[in-house]
Amino acid sequence: MRPDFFQFLRSPLLWIPVAIAACLPWGLSAYHLAIGTLALLYVSLALAWNVVGGIAGQISLANSVFVGTGALLASALYIRLGIDMWFGMVIAAAVSAILGVFMSLLDARFRLGHLSFALVTLAFAEIGELVVAGTDFLGGASGLDLPKDHGRFWLFEFGGGPGYFWAALVLALICLVVNQAILSSRLGYYLRALRDNEDAAQAIGIELFRSKATGMAISAALSSVAGTLFARYSNFVDPTLLASPNLTIEIVLIATIGGLGTPLGPLIAALVLIPVGEILRGQFGGTLPGLHFFLYGVLIIVVVLTSPQGIVPRLLSLRRRFRRA
Amino acid sequence: MLEVAGLTAGYGGPNVLEDVSLDVEAGELVGLLGANNAGKSTLINCISGVLRPRAGSIRFLGEDITRAKPSDIVSRGIVQVPEGRQVFPRMSVLDNLLLGGTTAVARPRRADRLEQVFTLFPRLKERRPQYAGTLSGGEQQMLAIGRAMMGGPKLLMLDEPSLGLSPLFVQTIFRALRELNAQGLTILLVEQNLNLTLSCAVRGVVLERGQVALAGTSATLRADPRTRQAYLGL
Repeated sequence: MRPDFFQFLRSPLLWIPVAIAACLPWGLSAYHLAIGTLALLYVSLALAWNVVGGIAGQISLANSVFVGTGALLASALYIRLGIDMWFGMVIAAAVSAILGVFMSLLDARFRLGHLSFALVTLAFAEIGELVVAGTDFLGGASGLDLPKDHGRFWLFEFGGGPGYFWAALVLALICLVVNQAILSSRLGYYLRALRDNEDAAQAIGIELFRSKATGMAISAALSSVAGTLFARYSNFVDPTLLASPNLTIEIVLIATIGGLGTPLGPLIAALVLIPVGEILRGQFGGTLPGLHFFLYGVLIIVVVLTSPQGIVPRLLSLRRRFRRA
Repeated sequence: MLEVAGLTAGYGGPNVLEDVSLDVEAGELVGLLGANNAGKSTLINCISGVLRPRAGSIRFLGEDITRAKPSDIVSRGIVQVPEGRQVFPRMSVLDNLLLGGTTAVARPRRADRLEQVFTLFPRLKERRPQYAGTLSGGEQQMLAIGRAMMGGPKLLMLDEPSLGLSPLFVQTIFRALRELNAQGLTILLVEQNLNLTLSCAVRGVVLERGQVALAGTSATLRADPRTRQAYLGL
């Protein structure tokens, strides 16, 4: 672990925004707090995806499978077998990690390359949706209703808006710290070396499968935990929302618009785009449904044309140039 | 030290290498020569484990490494400098070098080896904090060699280190290789540059269309007209 990680952990630039965010439940209306919670959940999802998509540079389209596993498996275990959702969350995360490792295994075994990896993971996402729709234990196509939240923390109940906002904030913070920890640890260097040049990385003894599988397992487990929290928060697990490849596309778009590799890009993009999208949906949802998707579409075109590395790295480099001038 | 016997390999299509055998003794600098498409890179990719051979065996220090993982082979002491330099462009020169010494065997000795690399290529020391992608071609080649040296190789394999470099840098690189060899490092050098290679190698092996066409000491190869013919594909 490099010293810059501990600097990051001590940095007021990290803790002041977190402290301000933690106070938001006292200042925001229930509607705006719900938007904030959603934005934080997407921060977690985008940061979890960034481990594989950004740091390792592999476009994984299977994250909906992990989110769906976290949401549906943990909920089903709770409803059908009475297993505490904390425990269910851990089980689902472990299952997701194993699925992720399996995908890495396919990648390493058959040397898939970037495009094939994206397609294979997309296939997993599609299969995942079909499996969910056909499995009654997981609620089938109609989804799962969770029992009422009584604010019992030990049962994974956070008791309403503020509780879930804080839970989402903690999870987003964990995802951010994990991203930063990976970047300043050996694993992050291995993954970036493999991203930049797989053959050269192997030629100096970097283990391809072990590195990629570790990154994938971390990404999958974090996505799964976000899925479990999402499920408990919305009280109802909608398989078309949480287990469908559309969710992955949304995550990938947000992370790519923000800028991959460093955690700042996906973080800021999710914090800006989700509230804007939600407010647009609130204002124009009746007359112009899907306007936020249109916005994402326009943004991704603009970003790809003007700054392919993403908005946040672009702004940082502009600031550097401005300072020098 | 390295014994390759009856190696046959390819990339999905027809065989690129057929029944190639090659020995490298400890302390030698052996040149692997041949025209484009002769199979030189395929051969060293098999040795470093990046490519699985279809038949034949590779032994290193008396042990079979034909099916070993690339990372395992690096730990055993064979490090490859890939063709076209292939540094990690978005990492600093120092990070590139440190990554070269990342196997469990090499890690404890990273600091010493870093000093050795900087003695060999002082230019890299000056450029430590710079992104590797901003280096010139010759400097990137130095970095690629330095990175391989960080792994503490017993056998260093280089794939076309002179490719695309200015004559001045070619001189620097080959001087460094000679120096490393004089210090006792065994080197397997893949090159198209015939005269340059034979001037520093003890022995050479000439590949032609995936097979060993000629092998012998540098002096005999230089005198033999068939060496040049192999290059011209006659």
